[in-house]
Amino acid sequence: MKAYITSTGSYLPGPAVNNDEIEDVLGLINDRPSKLKKRILKANGIKTRHYAIDKEHKTLFNNSTMAAHAGNICLDKVGFSKTRLGMLSCATTQGDLVIPGFASMVQAELELPDVEIHSSHGVCSSSLMAVKTAMNNVLLQEQDSALVIASELASRLFKNTRYEAAGADANLDFNAEFLRWMLSDGAGAMLIQSQPTKHCLQIDWIKSFSHADTLPVCMSVGMPSEKSDTRTWQDFPNYSEAEKAGAILIRQDVRLLEHAVKLGVDGALRLMEKGILDLPNIDHVLCHYSSHHFKEKIFQMLETAGASIPEERWYTNLYERGNTGCASIFIMLDEFLKTKSIKNGDKILCMVPESGRFNNAYMQLTVVSEQ
Amino acid sequence: MNSSVDLPKKTVISELAQECLRRLMTTWFEFERDLNKVPIVKRLNSGTFSKDDYEALLKTLRQQVIEGARWMTRTASSFESNMVDVRAHVIKHSKEEHQDFKLLEKDYCMIGGKLDDILKHPKNPGSEALHSYLMYQSSLPNPINMLGAMWIVEGLGEKMAADWADKISDQLNLNGKGVSFMKYHSAHDEEHMQLLYQLLDRVCQTEGDVDALVKNAVITGKLYAMQLNEIEHDLPK
Repeated sequence: MKAYITSTGSYLPGPAVNNDEIEDVLGLINDRPSKLKKRILKANGIKTRHYAIDKEHKTLFNNSTMAAHAGNICLDKVGFSKTRLGMLSCATTQGDLVIPGFASMVQAELELPDVEIHSSHGVCSSSLMAVKTAMNNVLLQEQDSALVIASELASRLFKNTRYEAAGADANLDFNAEFLRWMLSDGAGAMLIQSQPTKHCLQIDWIKSFSHADTLPVCMSVGMPSEKSDTRTWQDFPNYSEAEKAGAILIRQDVRLLEHAVKLGVDGALRLMEKGILDLPNIDHVLCHYSSHHFKEKIFQMLETAGASIPEERWYTNLYERGNTGCASIFIMLDEFLKTKSIKNGDKILCMVPESGRFNNAYMQLTVVSEQ
Repeated sequence: MNSSVDLPKKTVISELAQECLRRLMTTWFEFERDLNKVPIVKRLNSGTFSKDDYEALLKTLRQQVIEGARWMTRTASSFESNMVDVRAHVIKHSKEEHQDFKLLEKDYCMIGGKLDDILKHPKNPGSEALHSYLMYQSSLPNPINMLGAMWIVEGLGEKMAADWADKISDQLNLNGKGVSFMKYHSAHDEEHMQLLYQLLDRVCQTEGDVDALVKNAVITGKLYAMQLNEIEHDLPK
């Protein structure tokens, strides 16, 4: 028995924002243009992205609103009735509310009656964890259908006022500014069913390996700027003190990022050793690498391992749609299906090497297409 | 972003050697994760590495380097005439490294340690286990599995030494002094790794060869981690 992806959808808020316009939206920190921006954008290769906030920093779409848009697009595409839906499985790095779970908020936006819900919490790989839960539910015949949605609204964390409240110059280091030039907003969705349709994707398997036991935190919100301070954001007397200490800034420990690349390749090689993955015979690779810089590294390591896949089989829309965290792999798959020609039996590998604390997730799909 | 994920260009051709290299890569990744759990490495990664740590690390590494040169030359001598080409490579390699412990002694004195202290320091239990194992394996006829040990030990130089040297220098304010041993290895082990790739092609003739080589790498990695774990017992109370 297998589960099938029978529809996909995506939603990107507002117009595409190019590199020269980023600071018009996110704002100048202390009225000064960033010195790091060019360097980081050159390395990640991103040309355009979307933001759910406007130049006045008003939120135009909540995270749950974007998620619902993507979900509606996905269901409408195949005319799937909401009343038939058995499950809603949602992923995000940060919902609009701390409590309750993201899936509750998205369910309300979608006006879905009586569904089983699941909220997958994490960073980029939470997307595939949400798919896996939905897939397993279908495989166990608990439900016949599940809507999976991954959505991110990172831009609210990047307002200049956030950095200024954290003491800007004093606290703003490379690691705190890095993600300002990497992440943006968007949502993606997929419908999973127990029966195949004329054109769909069979989910062959989903596997993941987490290495939080061996490596420190790489991407975080909640840790103060001062490394020796072991308090987390809620340990401060009040939130304004936490913010002053930089504990509400989003950070990436860039020195650790190379581990995400290595472990991403490591997981693929392990799946090969176990006979689960036959990498050279994959027809399409959709890899959520966060930066063009890392693509080269992944290619090089796979070549050394004798498991390289020709460049033309790799697909990404990172450079045009931006890095939307957990939503990226969904948005990528949706656009891939819309724009690329695929044929019955093609194998698609989705890879999400996550840098949060090094969880690496993989999903293999087979194209099912009636002639 | 440092470049320690860079691996030399592939030179392996045969399918068996390629399989061996793939398995050695996953063995290496696992070894690296094991190292991240070792207390002294954890301190280095979290920015709390002390001068006592570095002195203790150098004392242990000195034993490792002295013994390394011995098992490498023993390995060379155990290759029979039908593998004289492999022997030639291993001889050349061991000749280049057999006096490297002197660099370590220089580093130890540079950071304020007394030469006599490092000279007198005995092997810790992990070092004993590691080198007893490797001396035995290298004494067997045509010990091609020793390339597994070389993969781990040279890999440390090639992939980790530069990163460790920078971290140690930063955390102990050494301005790049007193880390000459690690710097030297990060600069030279890349060519040694390149050589290793070529040797894999030569020595991997059967599945059994690949299994033996990978097994040696796995055991070397585990015992190497044990050697570093044991450093905790050398630190002042």
